[in-house]
Amino acid sequence: MPGTEASHENMPMTAVQKFLARACGRDRVEIGEVVYPKPELVIIHDGYVETVHGELAALGYARVRDPKRVVFVTDHEVAYTTQRAVERGRNIRKIAKAWEIGRLFDVGRGGHGHIFPMEAGLVRPGMFLFAYDMHCSNFGAIGALAIGVGAEVSSVLATGSLWTQVPETVRVELTGALPSGAHPRDVGFLLCGGFANGRWNVSHDNRIIEFCGSGLEAFSLASRVALCNSLTEIGVANVLFGSPPPGIDSSGAPDFISDLGAPSAGNIVVDLSTMVPQVALPGGPDLAADLASVEGRHIDHAFIGACGSGMYEDFADAARFVKNRRIADGVRMFIGPGTNEVARRLADDGITQMFVEAGAMVLPPGCGPCAGGIIAPLGPGEVSISTAATNHSGRFGSVDGQCYLGSPLTVAASAVAGCMADPRKFMSP
Amino acid sequence: MEKSLKKRGYCHVFGDRFSLDEGIMPFKFAIERVTDPKKLIPHLFKSTDPDFPGKVKPGDFVIGGQDFACGKPHVQGFIAMAALNLGVICQSMPYKAMRRAVSVGLPLLTGCNPGADFLQNGDEIEVDFATGEARNLTRGTSTRLPSMSPILRDIVVNGGMNGALAAWLKDHPEQAAVEPVALSDSSGAVPVSFVPARKS
Repeated sequence: MPGTEASHENMPMTAVQKFLARACGRDRVEIGEVVYPKPELVIIHDGYVETVHGELAALGYARVRDPKRVVFVTDHEVAYTTQRAVERGRNIRKIAKAWEIGRLFDVGRGGHGHIFPMEAGLVRPGMFLFAYDMHCSNFGAIGALAIGVGAEVSSVLATGSLWTQVPETVRVELTGALPSGAHPRDVGFLLCGGFANGRWNVSHDNRIIEFCGSGLEAFSLASRVALCNSLTEIGVANVLFGSPPPGIDSSGAPDFISDLGAPSAGNIVVDLSTMVPQVALPGGPDLAADLASVEGRHIDHAFIGACGSGMYEDFADAARFVKNRRIADGVRMFIGPGTNEVARRLADDGITQMFVEAGAMVLPPGCGPCAGGIIAPLGPGEVSISTAATNHSGRFGSVDGQCYLGSPLTVAASAVAGCMADPRKFMSP
Repeated sequence: MEKSLKKRGYCHVFGDRFSLDEGIMPFKFAIERVTDPKKLIPHLFKSTDPDFPGKVKPGDFVIGGQDFACGKPHVQGFIAMAALNLGVICQSMPYKAMRRAVSVGLPLLTGCNPGADFLQNGDEIEVDFATGEARNLTRGTSTRLPSMSPILRDIVVNGGMNGALAAWLKDHPEQAAVEPVALSDSSGAVPVSFVPARKS
């Protein structure tokens, strides 16, 4: 049916209104309205292709609506560690052929599906897309709106769209500058905990969290990704920014910035200069705490990578904590460059070598242990600190393992110390 | 395509922040992934009101306050409500819970605060989800609630997401299966052309 005529034609719009209006072929959509936006891309990872194919086949579907817009990525089980994985890879290739999928990024191609599409120019500023996996919210960093729809991706594939309620927007103004040793992931954890605890009395449920303010100017694309990723697990609709992405030419992109005076469902100010290193306690990113509260706790496992901390800067910034040092005995440490390109740059610049010489192991680009501990898992009773996207029970394999989250700096410092460690204590004065 | 959606039944009023796992359907059914309505219906709202399964009638309304069905968005409670042909009227509902409810075909109105002066526990009401018009047949009063989006109504009258997809396929036979793709571990790999994104 035709869309409702706009009743507030000249009212300022939030960025998400602009994205969704464009994707509906309209001038504007209203907050709270339910619409059918058409995505430019639909991204599904290797862990779900067989399932969604089975579901649609059971309903009698042989073809998806718009196959050329569909992208299969391979990041959950990259280095096949079981015969089942080999079989899954074969089935994914068959499904891609049968459905005439636009792009298949097979094992060893691209890397993490929440990162490489940005560096490859596949996901661009102003673009609207759907994806199976919620951490597609990373693309907010580049000025794209990607909605993770989970199992409802079957509807996107079948019909070319999915009902979406236009969300409200909460603004987070960043002021000041991050002190040395604090990291954007720390800001993300602090916000997760604050929203979950009702610290600001602002609901985050299905809200766009939009960052703005002078403090944002110093944030790289990787820093923006860290903010996007940390907040996703607590149930926000998405994470967007009030200024164009750094280092990306967005001059020709359609408008993806909120208007001045656009409606806001809450305003929060975070003074970056007060940030201290954070952790997320086992159970979820919303269980944020000052690192000081767990400092000295023994660790068995450390991991830098996954979709929230898999970019070049994450490893380059962490490397100085392992350079000319050794990973503590009894700690197994892994780094998982997010993409093939990140892996290449880290190797070219000698950063991989710093980690390897310290005793860390390098995983293939992808999710690493964050995809259920398929590779580099955690054992029962063990303790991990990592930059994973989340840390619910069993996330790294064993349900009896304890997964803490920290920034890449905190993880690197902890791996060297053999216990939860404050990166500020490992820095030269 | 727009279809009408009207319901008439008795009200069962619950409060604010009513939890899915604790108040609506015991968590164990989510863990066990039970999806058979016959197994779920006897437990619906039982932990809140032990008499509920005995007194609820098909077509009745569940009236929630703020943040109705909060907590992890497990679908089991919604499956039971949809199978009983219940309707939900509430002030607000977590977005993911609302999505799960719609996906199993449960009609709902959110943003509603009808208040005790319009309805109370046990009242019989009639609601038109398309217009939001609500009549209290017990008290002889009426009010206008926020209506349900025609997009969501269409999914619900089709019985939820799978019903909507079946209806779509009926309208788009070109997407239907002629020969299903056989997936197995012995059929050999089928090459697919790899189209890498070009770097600028």
